[in-house]
Amino acid sequence: MNQQIAEEPTRPSQGDINMPRTPKSRYTLRRFWQMRSLLVLAVAILGAGFWWLRPYQFHGVYLQSPERAPNFTLIASAGAPVQLRDFQGKTVVLFFGYTACPDICPLRLAELKQTMKLLGEAANQVQVVLVTVDPLHDTAAHLKRYVSAFDPSFLGMTGSPAQIDAVATQFGIFYDPEPANVGTISHTGTITVIDAAGYVRLLFPAGLSTAEMAQDLAQLIR
Amino acid sequence: MRFGYGVLALLVVALLTFTIFQPIQVLPRIGLGPGFSFVDQNGNHLTNEDLRGHLVLYTFTYTSCQGDCPQTSRTLQLVQAQLDQINTRGLPVDLVTISFDPARDTPQQLAAFAHQLGADLTNWHFVTGEPAALKNVIGSSFGFYYNQAADGTFTFDPAFVLVDGVGIVRAKYRTAELDLALVQRDLELIATEAQNSQGAARLAYEAAHLFLCYPK
Repeated sequence: MNQQIAEEPTRPSQGDINMPRTPKSRYTLRRFWQMRSLLVLAVAILGAGFWWLRPYQFHGVYLQSPERAPNFTLIASAGAPVQLRDFQGKTVVLFFGYTACPDICPLRLAELKQTMKLLGEAANQVQVVLVTVDPLHDTAAHLKRYVSAFDPSFLGMTGSPAQIDAVATQFGIFYDPEPANVGTISHTGTITVIDAAGYVRLLFPAGLSTAEMAQDLAQLIR
Repeated sequence: MRFGYGVLALLVVALLTFTIFQPIQVLPRIGLGPGFSFVDQNGNHLTNEDLRGHLVLYTFTYTSCQGDCPQTSRTLQLVQAQLDQINTRGLPVDLVTISFDPARDTPQQLAAFAHQLGADLTNWHFVTGEPAALKNVIGSSFGFYYNQAADGTFTFDPAFVLVDGVGIVRAKYRTAELDLALVQRDLELIATEAQNSQGAARLAYEAAHLFLCYPK
């Protein structure tokens, strides 16, 4: 390209003698190449900008619910009644289970313990709550011993069967005693996250890693 | 510096284009659907977990609903007849009629009602349960009113609710006569999103939620 320009016979100039003259067509061609590289650069920067500003992609299911999470009052493992509303300002991680649960409950609570560990200092802004689906057997004292074994900051909650029924229904949690297995209760294992303002923001279905849950929670707290 | 402003301006224009022209439309994730365990027309349990991964259209009624009473089940009959024309991309669609009159609507009565409607029971369930559980599901969770008068008749808000495969409420229709075209559009929107929101496309769908790209 440059060579071609160099080979171009110089014509007598009408204006400044020191200014090499390029034919008009070649001039616009070079302009075009300049413009094109600028365009490529602009697109690249635009792409990078989009990538930089792209919204965080949650691993869990993200909700923009226009309504606050239904409030409830239950007996906390410390023994006193506690409302969901009392936790406003903190992110609540809600899980339903029971202390005699053989498989999914200890597994998910251990996952939550690990998640809190990964969150580091931000874990101060998160309250993990286990609501029992076996209120006839899980007393407050019983629950306290159970959840403390995972993490002393975790809270257990119980209430009358009617209260538990109402809370579980509203959070989309099904539970039923298993007919074939006396003493076991099958129930939904989804974890629900309520943000500091009291809105349901995230669902963690089974299968998410602790790192993914920790990232999502960190993003929500930010 | 001027270049930075240019990029910012382009970004804003691009975002505006996205919000105004809405290249992707999604139905809002309104809130959590209820958890329940009811009994169906065959006496079997039906829970919300059984319907996980399905698109479910719920409605509420009682089988002694006569005369002026809003006929939500007749509407579901029309929906069921039209289902084969709706492209839900392989996602199963279920219809659930919940009776809030468990005293009279025994499984046998529900079965008779279903038969009378000519319902195809492979994907249409007629269920009921304990009065307290019904109030929790229909009243507290879905948010619809019903009340029994002294003569045994019920007053209630005729309504339909569309719940997705994850158990999240995606649409509520406060009417006795559904616009079938609207239901078709909504079912197809959820199905398309469920099918496409993987990998890079998921980012676009999540952005559509973030920028409230909801259909009019």
